[in-house]
Formats: sequence, structure tokens, C-alpha cells
Amino acid sequence: MGQFQGYVRPDGSVGIRNTLLILSGTIYANSTAERVADSIEGAVAITHPLGRCQVRPDLRTTFHTLVGTGKNPNVGGVIVIDHFREEGCTAEEIAHEIQKTGKPVEIVNIRHSNGAIEATAQALRKAMNMKRELSSLTREPVDVSKLLFGLNCGTSDTTSGLGSNPALGHCSDRIVNQGGRSILAEVTELMGAEDHIRDRAVTAAVGDDVVAAIDGFEQRALASGEDIRGSQPTGDNIMGGLSSIEEKSLGAYQKSGSAPINGLIDYGEQPTDDSGLYIMYTPGHGSESITGIAAAGAQVLVFSTGGGHVINHPIMPTIRITSNVNSFEAMEDTMELDLSDIFNGDLSLQDAGDQIYDEVMETCNGKLTKAEILQEHTGFAIHRTGVSI
Amino acid sequence: MTQKQTKKKEVYVIHPEDNTGTVIRPNVTKGTTLEIEEGKTVDVLKDIPYGHKIAVKEIKKGDTIWKYGLSIGSAIEDIAVGDHVHVHNIESNRGRGDRFAEEQEGGEK
Repeated sequence: MGQFQGYVRPDGSVGIRNTLLILSGTIYANSTAERVADSIEGAVAITHPLGRCQVRPDLRTTFHTLVGTGKNPNVGGVIVIDHFREEGCTAEEIAHEIQKTGKPVEIVNIRHSNGAIEATAQALRKAMNMKRELSSLTREPVDVSKLLFGLNCGTSDTTSGLGSNPALGHCSDRIVNQGGRSILAEVTELMGAEDHIRDRAVTAAVGDDVVAAIDGFEQRALASGEDIRGSQPTGDNIMGGLSSIEEKSLGAYQKSGSAPINGLIDYGEQPTDDSGLYIMYTPGHGSESITGIAAAGAQVLVFSTGGGHVINHPIMPTIRITSNVNSFEAMEDTMELDLSDIFNGDLSLQDAGDQIYDEVMETCNGKLTKAEILQEHTGFAIHRTGVSI
Repeated sequence: MTQKQTKKKEVYVIHPEDNTGTVIRPNVTKGTTLEIEEGKTVDVLKDIPYGHKIAVKEIKKGDTIWKYGLSIGSAIEDIAVGDHVHVHNIESNRGRGDRFAEEQEGGEK
């Protein structure tokens, strides 16, 4: 079995990074969180416009997503910044859940600290001390079975479904075959692949769950009085030659490989420990989707793109791959892997999958993605379904 | 430019039942001849951008459009072999707000 060098957390989970996370509990804590992260070496701020005046189901999603992000094994410690008190999503409640992993968590409340400047000072001191503590942790060899591997695609074109996605499927299979787990998301983009999914589901009930989730998204879109055409496929998809949501879906589905489908999981929900593929209920929105995958505890994600992409999750390294040579050349600064020899050379899908696997392993061992170096943090957005109230 | 020994694929037809293939050769313009499989060629009727689909079989209005051996939509007009297949001549059958609205009103047009 393959191994990589990871950070073993108190709860036994394994991180591939040792990030100090400055987590904003609510929109009004965002600037303080950013100010603190900017002043601390290697700290990352996660900010968002939510946590306040949301309908209950959405507030729960926000809460669980923030908690899951803090629990992600790539995070070594967390400072939660709160503005005052947001019922149902307080810093205390967020910290209480994250602390169950055994990692260090601290809270700073802007109101209780007498404003943003004092809160910044308090948070900086806590962050500095926590960073020092985290910096003494070292990597150790762990089995690939510890990996929860994220699969996503975006700005897809027709090369995605023929090249980079099936190659990514091989990579996912290699991880699952060693006892690991993968998450496929973007349920909207499974529309048209229902029969294949039923064939791969471990039980008929799992197949029914996934198909019901796909149908639910279709009905939700229709209930809005709108048409899926016009938003799916997207404008960049159509430029790339994709003509319908079915075509986009069947291409997107290729990245799931051939592992058995163990179950449907909610947005941000942790899958069970059983090796295999899980399908997460997320929309096709790239950042919302990978945010849910990271909140479930995935340590690394491969993002397959046709047109090229800058996306990166702030605490889950996001490896961008393409098999479209024009896109790689145009977007080389933010793309990790060029697989265009699938079409322009003699690269088989299997060998391309092995290249992705090697890149994933190097990234797990500590090699930085381009986006990590550039501090591109566009890949965090919490899914919501209701209105602000 | 040196010519490579191995001949590169020009059109990617995934499944034998498919009536469309994906053009994976750049600069395919009207009048180009493309090889879709060993010994079988197609005369291109329109300029087709890299990565877009070409009809490799005759398609009648209303016919299913096949790729991956599965339906990706239906033809909204007759499509000749060699024509560009895209949103101007095929449509999705999923998430159709117009059909849903008709059903809600309880009648057919």
C-alpha cells in the first residue's frame, strides 16, 4: 500500500497541511479575521457573508460548514472571530464542535473585546502562540487509506468528458483500491447518468437516494419558474462545445471512476469509514461544491477543467488539471497539470490518471499548488437555498 | 513543422451507436475532410471550433442525439453528416421550464 507524509491529528485523522485557520463566524467579523491572518505567517482567513438573518435550514448549513471546515485535518488550530452573538451560529458553539477533534481552538469576540482594534490585538496574540505550538508538529508516514479525496470539475468543455475527467476517474480508483474514499459532488450535473449510478450503487436503496437527489435538484430548478437551459450548461461550457445539461453531466460523471457508490451524503457531511465513492448533495457551483467537500474532511481535491480555472479552497489544496492544450497555455499560471497529450500525443487515459495520482501524492507530501503560493482563496462559498430574513 | 509519425485522431466518436463525434483537430473549416475512423471520412459542411461536435450520421428532426452511447438531447431540425451539432440545432430534454409550465397549466398546446 502507498504512503504519504502527513500530520496525524489527536482524533487519528491525517492532514496534508498544518494550517492555522482564522475563522470568521459572521459577516461582521470578516475584516478582523483578514487583518489577523495577514499579520501571521502562514495563517489563512476564511470569511463569508452568512451566519446571520438566515432561515433555519440555511443557518444550520452555515454552522455545519464552518464547523466541518475547522475540523478538517488540514487545519492544525483555529481562532474563531465573532462579532457579538449570532443565535444558532455563535463562536462558542462553533468552537465547542471543533474542539471535539482535540485540536486547539480559541475564540475572540469583537464586542466583548471593545471593538475591532482590541479584538485584533487579542486574536493576534492567540494566533502567534498557537502558530508556535503548531510549528513543532512534524509529518510522519501514513497509509493512502487515510485519504478522503475530492472530485470536482468546472468550466468544462468537451475535452473534460473525453480526457481529464476519465483520467481523474482512474486516479480516484487507485486511491479507493488502497482503502481510501472519494467524494463526487455536483448533483445537478449527474442528470442523465441515473442508470449508470444505479448499476454502481452498493444497494438499490443507495441508488434510489442518489436518483431522488438528482430529481430534487431538477424540480427545485423548475419550481423557480425558470429553465435549466440558460444556466446549465453555462456560457463557458457552450463556448467549449457542450450543448445540453445531459452532455455536460455524462462528461462530469466520467471523473467518478468505477468504484462502488457507497452512499449519498448531505452538504458538508462526513462519509462513513468504508472505502469507496460517496456522492455529496451540492449544486454545480464550483466554490459551493468544493466548500461542502472540504467541510466533510477531504484533504485534497482535483479540479478538472476544460477552459482553465483559478479555483482553490483556502485549506484544501486544489489541483487544477486540463486536457485542453489551449486552456493550459492560456491559464498556465493557475493550472497544475497539462494532460493534453491525451489528444495531441500518445498519453493513454490510464497513464494520465497515474500522472494525476503522482501529483496528488506529491501535494500530500507538502508540494504547494500554484494557488496556495499565490494565496488564491476564491474556493470558499457556503451553499444556501433560502432567502435572507 | 515536422509531421509526427503516428496519425493523430481528428474526431473522437466514443460509442459505436453515437451519431455525433467531437472534433479534436484545430482549425476545422468548411470543406475540410476529416477521418472519423480508419478508412471513413466526412466532408465538413461548416466551420467547427475545436472541441465541438460534428454529425457523423444523418439526423432527422426529433431524433435523439447520441454521445457516450447515451442521450444528450434531441434534434430541433434535420442535421446532415458533416454539420456542426450544437445549441442551434439540438436541445436538452432535462429541466425544461417550458414543458413544466405547460404541464402545470394542465393542457397541451
